Amino acid sequence: MAEFIVMPKMGLTMTKGLLTNWRKKEGDTVNKGDILFDVETDKITNKIEAKTSGVLRKILVDKDTVNILVPVAIIGTADEDISELLEQAAGTVEKAAPQKEEAQKQEAAPAQERKPGERVKISPRAKKTADELNVDFNLVTGTGPGGAITEDDIRKFAERHKTKVSPMAAVVAGQLGVETDNIEKDTRIMKADVVKYKLDENLAKYADPQEYRLPMSNMRKIIAERMLESVQTSPSVSFNIKVDTTGMKQLREELKDTFKVSYTDILVKIVSQVLLEYPMLNSTINGDEIITRNYVNMGVAVALPAGLLVPVVRYSNVKGLKDISKEIKDLGERAKTNNLMPDELSGGTFTISNLGMFGIESFTPIINQPEVAILGVNAINKEPVIINDEVVVKPMMNLSLTADHRVVDGAVAAEFLARLKEYIEKPGLLLL
Amino acid sequence: MKIAIIGGGPGGYTAAIRAAQLNAEVTLIEKEQVGGTCLNKGCIPTKVLLHTSGEYQAAKKFESCGIKIKGIELDWAETQRRKTEIVNKQVKGVENLLINNRVVRINGEGSFLNKNQLKVKEIDGSETIVDFDYAIIASGSKPVIIPIPGVELPGVITSDEALNLTEIPSSMVIIGGGVIGSEFAEVFSAVGCKVTIIEMLPNIIANMDQDVVSTLVFKFENSGVDIHTDTKVVSISKSEEGLIVNTQSDGKEQSFSAGKVLLSIGRKPVTDNLALENAGVATNRGAVAVNKNMQTNVPNIYAIGDATAGVMLAHAASSEGIVAVESIMNLKPNIDFNTIPYCVYTKPELAGVGLTEEQARQKGYDVKVGLFPMSINGKAMIEGERQGLVKYVTDNATGEILGLHISGPTATELIVEGALALRLEATIDEITSTIHAHPTVAEALHEAAHAVHNNAIHMPI
Repeated sequence: MAEFIVMPKMGLTMTKGLLTNWRKKEGDTVNKGDILFDVETDKITNKIEAKTSGVLRKILVDKDTVNILVPVAIIGTADEDISELLEQAAGTVEKAAPQKEEAQKQEAAPAQERKPGERVKISPRAKKTADELNVDFNLVTGTGPGGAITEDDIRKFAERHKTKVSPMAAVVAGQLGVETDNIEKDTRIMKADVVKYKLDENLAKYADPQEYRLPMSNMRKIIAERMLESVQTSPSVSFNIKVDTTGMKQLREELKDTFKVSYTDILVKIVSQVLLEYPMLNSTINGDEIITRNYVNMGVAVALPAGLLVPVVRYSNVKGLKDISKEIKDLGERAKTNNLMPDELSGGTFTISNLGMFGIESFTPIINQPEVAILGVNAINKEPVIINDEVVVKPMMNLSLTADHRVVDGAVAAEFLARLKEYIEKPGLLLL
Repeated sequence: MKIAIIGGGPGGYTAAIRAAQLNAEVTLIEKEQVGGTCLNKGCIPTKVLLHTSGEYQAAKKFESCGIKIKGIELDWAETQRRKTEIVNKQVKGVENLLINNRVVRINGEGSFLNKNQLKVKEIDGSETIVDFDYAIIASGSKPVIIPIPGVELPGVITSDEALNLTEIPSSMVIIGGGVIGSEFAEVFSAVGCKVTIIEMLPNIIANMDQDVVSTLVFKFENSGVDIHTDTKVVSISKSEEGLIVNTQSDGKEQSFSAGKVLLSIGRKPVTDNLALENAGVATNRGAVAVNKNMQTNVPNIYAIGDATAGVMLAHAASSEGIVAVESIMNLKPNIDFNTIPYCVYTKPELAGVGLTEEQARQKGYDVKVGLFPMSINGKAMIEGERQGLVKYVTDNATGEILGLHISGPTATELIVEGALALRLEATIDEITSTIHAHPTVAEALHEAAHAVHNNAIHMPI
């Protein structure tokens, strides 16, 4: 029996998905488990498999964003009557993109642009005036009813285009191939105006400016939406603290032969530990309530060519450094190959974003909602530091914390950073 | 809007009247008569003397026009009286204009107290404080005195004194053969004084096109004026007959004796007594520094004319005054300073506007000139002033008129054709296609324009 194929719900928070690519055509035979189409959701692309076998009779949604559980195709036997389903679909296919946008697009279109060959609306009197004043009415923008050209439009146009040209300007324009009519000026067009017009024209020609318009990928849309939402939601404050990474470097060296860990791994471990002491930084605001936790789900930002993903290390506070390291590596690799599960991208309680490898020394990361704080990790650089009035060279690193002032007061953020500094400089504290 | 203007010369009084036209409350501060250097010690009185010397020369040639007059005599005292009369009439005229425009005049010397106040020490010794929203410095210039030994000797004079000489000296050495020096050479040589011009540069009137200047040099040389160019004055000493000017040229020393020595090496801004520092107005070697709207570094204080050491000409100062006032009143001043004509009122008169041929070449133009000699212009012949020439300087690539240079009768009047051509960005074709009246000296301009394309009708081949 024929049935609908619907936009699947692939995660708790999913409300709509972007169908980007059909892998089957109408009339193709489909076996259960065949990949039918691709859906971009929540930053990742999912391959959707057929749940039943049959013939793909009708594709209802080609490439578009649709709400979950909305029919996107009809599957059935080759000769089955699907008219009832088609009728039903016509009523239920609800596009996520509201039609209002289309209407607006049409309104915004420039009114004066006429297609070649399109009839120009002009009153006979205006036409006569245009003849008298030697005005090409095809160039005139109408302001009358329905965009019709009025006599007044013609007169104003003629007035505007009456600009005088100095003899030298005319000579130079001739030599440079400049049409003085194109120079916008109320007063007499002089030589300098022509030269400037030509120089501007040459610059534009040389620069050959181009703009390209591409639809945003779903991932980009979501990043844009979330970042905007975040800055609109959180009154955030940024804090910076400089830490000596000698201890952390040493720890990494000592472990090197047993197990290689990255600075990010160590920082995830330390931050997860310290967050338990400062639950406000690991909290979420829900209406009038503040949710605090006895656990940490640490988001680790991963940069991809197409955008940013933040896979989550679940319960990082109870995991050992080795487990954390392995998990971050695994999540990172799967993020790059588009193999993350939606749930691996949600549920974070705090985020670490490391831009140190690019040499960044300070930045103000944006909070990953509904979290309330994010730690930016910067480059480690050797710097002169004064210890006991002596200049000593130390590998220093800046930590940039952005926190939501609704729950995290300045002093709390400062204490948190001071504690982090202590842990980073004396990683042995992790053993206590 | 209160505008205070320091200096009532052609820059200052023009600015005052323009500001009054635009309904500003104007106070004009002048320590002497209004009219400044131009009216009192420059353009106007020199032209009166030049008119007399010119007419005196012409009278001697009346016979060739069929007029016989016996006993032509020069009455220098009468000349001086007429000069004073004309100056006073013109000063009175300016005074009336100022009154009609309700400009408040204070007769005294102004100096800045701060950015919004001037102190005026009046002639009667009293002091007045003038509050202003805007001030325009139009304090003018004075002759430069070179620091050479003997410059302080009696008989060493500047143009200020030369204008008021009660007797025609028997001989005069003019140090500096610029416009001022040349005009005085013209005046005094024409009335029987032996004139010697000492010029440090290779040419006299070095800022003008040398083809037109050469016609004046020719005239000077043929009327007994000695010109020594590339010559530097070392000192001035006293002798029994008067003064001796000791010079050096190419290592050779030469001395010239003279009854009077005229210093005409240039003019410098007068800004010393303005207490500019109280208002924080910046200067550059004594000249008030301004931007293109004539605004100083202090936004509500402007400066115009010779005080800025720009083009030291009365008509430049007046135009700058209008630019300053219109900027203050938020109008868009529209004056093209490329159209400033330069005039010398000798016989032949010299006039130029725009680029000289040399300047045009230096700027890299493919220069094409059109020359026409005044000697074959009918009207010039009738007037008995056949010395001179007309020269149009054009850009070969476009026909653009870059400059017009004239020597000959009424050159200073005719130069306006060139100024207008420059302002309108005319090409030489606009001149050739314009009908010039016949018979006029202006026909020589038409022919010079045609000569650019070798099409002059009356040019002997």
